[in-house]
Amino acid sequence: MEWKREELRVEKEIGEPILVVENAMKAFGGLQALNNISFEVRRGEILSIIGPNGAGKSVMLNCINGLPGYRLDSGRIVFDGQDITNWPPHKRAHIGISRTFQKIELFGGMTVLDNVKLGRHMKMNTGWWDGGIYWGKAVKEEAKHRKWIEEKVFETCEIEIYRNRITGMLPYGVQKRIELARALAMGPRLLLLDEPMAGLNLEEVEDMTRFILDANEEKEWNCTIILVEHDMGVVMDISDRVIVFDWGAKIADGPPEEVQNKPEVIRAYLGEVEETYITRR
Amino acid sequence: MKLPTGVHFDNYEADHAWWKTRFVWIRMVLLLFVLLWVIPQFVGDYWLSFLNMVGYTILGAAGVQLLIGYTGLITLGHAAPIGFGAFACALSMYLFNIPYLLSFLIGMIAAGLLSLLFGLPCVRVKGFYLIMTTMAMQFITVDVILTQFLGPLAGKGRGGVLAIEPGMFSIGPWVIYSVKDAYIWMIIICIIVQVFMANLMRTRVGRAWMAIRDNDIAAEALGVNIVYYKLLAFFIAGALGGVAGCYWLTNLSIVSPEHFMFPWSLWLVGVILIGGVGSLYGHIFGAIFMTGVLEVVKLVLVPLADIIPGTMEKFLYIKDLVFGLAIILFLIFEPNGISYRWWQIKNYIHLWPFSY
Ligand SMILES: Nc1ncnc2c1ncn2[C@@H]1O[C@H](COP(=O)(O)OP(=O)(O)O)[C@@H](O)[C@H]1O
Ligand SMILES: [Mg+2]
Repeated sequence: MEWKREELRVEKEIGEPILVVENAMKAFGGLQALNNISFEVRRGEILSIIGPNGAGKSVMLNCINGLPGYRLDSGRIVFDGQDITNWPPHKRAHIGISRTFQKIELFGGMTVLDNVKLGRHMKMNTGWWDGGIYWGKAVKEEAKHRKWIEEKVFETCEIEIYRNRITGMLPYGVQKRIELARALAMGPRLLLLDEPMAGLNLEEVEDMTRFILDANEEKEWNCTIILVEHDMGVVMDISDRVIVFDWGAKIADGPPEEVQNKPEVIRAYLGEVEETYITRR
Repeated sequence: MKLPTGVHFDNYEADHAWWKTRFVWIRMVLLLFVLLWVIPQFVGDYWLSFLNMVGYTILGAAGVQLLIGYTGLITLGHAAPIGFGAFACALSMYLFNIPYLLSFLIGMIAAGLLSLLFGLPCVRVKGFYLIMTTMAMQFITVDVILTQFLGPLAGKGRGGVLAIEPGMFSIGPWVIYSVKDAYIWMIIICIIVQVFMANLMRTRVGRAWMAIRDNDIAAEALGVNIVYYKLLAFFIAGALGGVAGCYWLTNLSIVSPEHFMFPWSLWLVGVILIGGVGSLYGHIFGAIFMTGVLEVVKLVLVPLADIIPGTMEKFLYIKDLVFGLAIILFLIFEPNGISYRWWQIKNYIHLWPFSY
């Protein structure tokens, strides 16, 4: 199936910047993983970060997410007007940043439903006492969020048949979807997706593309998305803008068609093993 | 349709779950009937006090289960909050004449705070270093605070032994005096603790704990405040330890630091290892098994003592030997604990008509 970008995209408004990264520097030992990176993401857009393996794409997401060990050496990250450079991850989650991981980080021993319910953690407020006696308020809250998950998240990500299965036993492609579902359950404003298509077959890639577009375009989600992805077909189809990393530096920034043909981008990919610059279509 | 309070189903599961619940309901009533009426009716004092020991072990191991099994925080000092709670309860009754139930509550809170205090380093450290702080809690609390400071407050007795008049443990008109009373009280407390824990684990707080246990990075990215939930786990586990300690005081009407030494902490860890880590049945099965083995060793050795002189002197060694063996055998043959086997058997029975 050949998708035309125009068919896939709906008209939407791209607003003012929601996330601004300014002069981000991050080194691991002697390795400069992020070298003076600046860019911004505008409300409502899908921004793709591409680049060869080891270019620092995941490091960038981890820094935006604030994972332990990923505090910027210098530079700033501003989300929605607030400087979040030194915030702990859970606080960033609370202001609406959510993510999936390159290497799946689900709670493998729990059911799919519990995984997604954990995505609702910060939207709920049952404390230990209410939870322990499980009466009235706690019961209502569990039911309310269960309903919401069934109607919104499972509906969007099409995983309702797996709800009571143990997550770790499910196929890889399904786990990728569950991770997206869990991230969506947080009701995020900014969604960071680290290689959501990696390891999926053609059909699964098409499904995943649809879910990502839903998350971006549907009223109830309305997520701004930063997508790190190697599948150029998908990147070219769904991105509003693409930035290119190479050795920790940003070497291009612009609309997909424009970036694709830049000489320095093509050069960056030269010498890369073929599989990283593939398109499945 | 309005369902009774406390029972909630999603529409799509209603038919199924209703049945299941009625079945569960009948089973629970039966279990309660046996525990609260049949057993005290037909079981003698010796075995009732054996069951009280089992109950005390369950209560003690519940907190360890919460910390190790559900939050992934290894503790080797859980006897400390148990002992601290027992002493706090005893002292508030002995020194201030505070009524029993209120003292019980004070014991719980004191134990919870102690555990919280020694859990504070979890803000900075993980793994081995955190285990060290739990051991520090054990030795500082029991060997120093209880023995040197709290024990002597009672003014009499030696080695920090504290005794309470047995008649003082009263809840309204009910005085917990006999072994049977202590048994009934134990069952009530165990049920409350188990129900509370079961509810916790299926709601927000329990899920957050398990998330931290399984993958703390993902948990934090989901908005779980790891430090808060770890500290909460320490507090609640400590308070559960306090429950165990207060019950122990009630059961014996005497407490001594001797009761809360390091081996008891290790014992409780053994209980959940054998019973099943991360299962609400785990500490129950483990407590029954470990206390049961002890009893069997006693039953075998006491008659032997008449035949082979010196057996009783060796009792402690033989006991340790048997436990060492039991734990090793368990780790080899049933590394998931008794509760896992139980789960398998239950599934087998549920599927039984269709199992082929
Ligand atoms: N926590 C870390 N410690 C040390 N080096 C790291 C760490 N995380 C990433 N790196 C290094 O940073 C570089 C960029 O990695 P990454 O962002 O994962 O690449 P990619 O663009 O393929 O996602 C790699 O060389 C990687 O080894
Ligand atoms: Mg990567």
